[in-house]
Amino acid sequence: MTTAAEASTGSNGSEETHDERLAYRGIFQRVLVRPEIGAVIAAVGVWVFFWAVAEPFGRASGAASILDVAASPLGIMAVAVAMLMIGGEFDLSSGAATGALGIVTILLVRDVSGEMAGAGFSLWVALPLSLAIALALGWFNGTMVNRTSLPSFIVTLGSFFVLKGAKLGFSKLIVEQIQVGTLDDLADYAETTGASDKGYGFLNTLFAAEWDRRSHIWEARDNIYLLGTFLGLALVIIGVFELHHRRAERGIPAGYAGAGLGLVSVLFGINTLHSTDSVSGNWTGSLLILAGMTVGLIGLSAARYHPLSDRSLALPTGAVTSFGLGVVALAGSIIAAAMIDSQNSENISWLGLVTVQGGRAILFVSLAGAALVLFLIGVNRARRSSIAGGGLLLAVTALSVAGTAFFVRAESQTPKFRTQAFSFMLMAAAIMLVWAIASMLFERRSSTGHERTGLALVGSGFVLALVGLGARLLYVTQSELDAGITKTGYSVRILWFAGFTAVCTWVLTRTRFGSWTYAVGGNKQASRQVGVPANRTKVQLFMLVSFAAWLVGVLLAFRLNTIQASTGDGEEFEYIIAAVVGGTALTGGYGSTLGAAIGAFIMAMSVQGIPSARWNSDWRFLFIGTILLLAAIGNNYIRGKAEAAR
Amino acid sequence: MTKRFRWLAALLAIVLFAAACGDDTNDSGEAADESGDAGDNGEAVDQTQGGDLTFHMITHSDDGPFWSVVKRGAEAAADALGVTLVWMPGNNDPGQMVTDIETAIGEGSDGIAASLPSPDQLVGPLQQAVAEGIPVYTLNSGANDYQAIGATTHIGQSEDVAGRGAGLRFNELGATKVLCGRQEQSNVGLEERCSGLKETFDGEVIDEFVGLDADQTEQINGIKAVLEANPDIDGFLGVGPVIAMSGLQAAQDLGIDLVIGGFDMTPELLGAIEAGDIAFTVDQQQYLQGYLPVVLMFLEATNLNQAGGGLPVLTGPGFVTPENAAGVLALSEAGTR
Repeated sequence: MTTAAEASTGSNGSEETHDERLAYRGIFQRVLVRPEIGAVIAAVGVWVFFWAVAEPFGRASGAASILDVAASPLGIMAVAVAMLMIGGEFDLSSGAATGALGIVTILLVRDVSGEMAGAGFSLWVALPLSLAIALALGWFNGTMVNRTSLPSFIVTLGSFFVLKGAKLGFSKLIVEQIQVGTLDDLADYAETTGASDKGYGFLNTLFAAEWDRRSHIWEARDNIYLLGTFLGLALVIIGVFELHHRRAERGIPAGYAGAGLGLVSVLFGINTLHSTDSVSGNWTGSLLILAGMTVGLIGLSAARYHPLSDRSLALPTGAVTSFGLGVVALAGSIIAAAMIDSQNSENISWLGLVTVQGGRAILFVSLAGAALVLFLIGVNRARRSSIAGGGLLLAVTALSVAGTAFFVRAESQTPKFRTQAFSFMLMAAAIMLVWAIASMLFERRSSTGHERTGLALVGSGFVLALVGLGARLLYVTQSELDAGITKTGYSVRILWFAGFTAVCTWVLTRTRFGSWTYAVGGNKQASRQVGVPANRTKVQLFMLVSFAAWLVGVLLAFRLNTIQASTGDGEEFEYIIAAVVGGTALTGGYGSTLGAAIGAFIMAMSVQGIPSARWNSDWRFLFIGTILLLAAIGNNYIRGKAEAAR
Repeated sequence: MTKRFRWLAALLAIVLFAAACGDDTNDSGEAADESGDAGDNGEAVDQTQGGDLTFHMITHSDDGPFWSVVKRGAEAAADALGVTLVWMPGNNDPGQMVTDIETAIGEGSDGIAASLPSPDQLVGPLQQAVAEGIPVYTLNSGANDYQAIGATTHIGQSEDVAGRGAGLRFNELGATKVLCGRQEQSNVGLEERCSGLKETFDGEVIDEFVGLDADQTEQINGIKAVLEANPDIDGFLGVGPVIAMSGLQAAQDLGIDLVIGGFDMTPELLGAIEAGDIAFTVDQQQYLQGYLPVVLMFLEATNLNQAGGGLPVLTGPGFVTPENAAGVLALSEAGTR
């Protein structure tokens, strides 16, 4: 059914129109121009780095802490602030507003005359009231910015000081303390007097419920995890193959048999790898996986895709240079790891930066990471003049990754490196190798269309992988429980964060309001001339931020029961930084809410990773600053490259 | 457009002015509630009708919960001795304090008690007061500079001594490895609390900045990260009241038992001590920092006594523990703790 359409565009070779705006952009190019892509890559980099150097980082409890810090207040606020920034404005009062709205909520519930709590408003009245105050605050900020035409930086700086002063002033005026509490008095009051708890019980579940991992046992968890992540990964790879390659008019049907054979081999390999810990078992397992992936994916490609016509292998000097530098970095990493005494790696202390896994890990991971980046830059440079040459370099990269994996396995003292890093690196090497072979054999696509299969495969792959990962993080097995693991609680705040991000992303990308947001941020005057209600849009964006501040304030009130006057002061810059790290432009008109959410994750990982690695906290801000700077530079670089390639 | 803008600017000015006024009325209203005096900043309060001695207390007070206790102490002493006390709160502005010191010298004060948040600006004017023959005392902060001024003595808590007291507490409570969590970086006072702990505590101390009070979520998770990286930690000292509560929350999140100590007091912290969740808090008993200088100035003026023997007079550390928490909570509500 698809062949007729493809034959008309594909097989007659020369395309009739050469309008560059309609030029076909490959799947990778399309992914790379997304504003959040830099943040995704930076997040993976930061995660890998801390995973390698900090012992508790990969555990479920570490994940729970990162999610907690990322979700609220940081994440929710970063997403809202990103939308406002896309709309071309700042809100410096957003940090102080989180604390202020939490305090207002508690004050409305609390009995002002100082008797027992519970004589104040019911929560059902207090929450809508504080929400109304929040929205009024946003409306005020937005209206002031519109009416005065002053920069929002100045206007909201004013509201910041007003809120900061009001928080302290009113707290001391009403409760004579610099903190206001306590919300859970409602529960105590209901318990002692038998009166209604005024909605506290229900709302406490809604805003502060916790999923205690230790009380959820699921023996099949590891199977679900393995199956979900593996099948998910496989579907993503097949989907990307489908999106990347040109369909053949007549493939080789026997390829499908190869695909089936490959799948069986990979499943066997995984089973072998995870059921034995012997050296030979690992070798067998890894080879089975590698062979299975190669045979399966190449078979599938042979059955479906068009063979490569131009097979010249000319490598430009730029590619060779960067590849050579990569080889130097890789050699350096291996020499460094081999030279440093592995028995005493814990004693390597430099400027008080003692880590559990030692300076060796930091050095090795940084150098090997640099080598990988240099290799990939070389591949990309080669690909521009010769597809097959790029494939060849990629194959060499894959082999060196595999070699490094075995080096890590042989040399590392840490079980985490020997098992998890090893299998992960081997898997990555296999994927790269198969990709390299496929790119030397099969033709790339040169037109869009017929992408539904590929997109569906990629989408379902991600869902499966998430299910597997979720099973791993949310459940324990009986044997783990018997070994005595620490309590790990996932807060419902994470769901609020996910939900808020999803809604904002939908609004920004799928609704008229979202388009207006980009328009007013790009050029307010021009947008107004084409009929966008610019002022109204801006006011609504300010109200969105103050809504988020209200949500965060309420979440904080239910979590801490007491809120201090200083809560949130100065935090607004963290929200802005998270948004910028996530690819939102300071100048407006460009950015993404998903990116801001990922930016919040990067910041949470940086904050949590340093104590996890047992680094001296005196250096904390130096590290966070460096990581953020690197993330922002990397983001900018990738975006620049991708847009130039457009 | 400009007209409308002017109108808005005027409105904003009114709002800001009202906010400022609100703050003022708040202060004096509070003062009236507390002690029945009608005094505002810098006004002489004649408490006795017959007292011919006038003492000036010049501090960087912001009249917050901490300083209002100091003020009550000073007023109670002045009341008991029948002297006049002039309470001059500098609200963290050294310039204001310099002016106040000069005013006190000009009025021929019988004794000046001052806090020294920034010695460089304040040592000079106080030396001038000593040269004029006025007895000078320092309180709260100034332990390192009172001798250079020529002040009789310093009344306050040494942060270092307070930390040492906490270390002895942890020894008694059987802790073996303590995390000293700080809520600020590069705050000398907080670091001295931790280094004092290291001096007397028998086990190992990990001294870390774990996150600002302004973001308690991050603070709690920062403490959790350190606890997870060092599973053998069995004690936590938070060098402020909020961070102590964060330590409790982190321990509860991880489901582990810690011996927790704190610094200073909030009703929430006292409640947690009463409930037995937190073992103790270090109290610098700031009521004494108000009361004692007035008494000592009175004795120097009337009886030529010089207390302290050249050493500072320490007002702490006092400890609030589950045994005395209920009593301290009641006194804290009365405003003297």
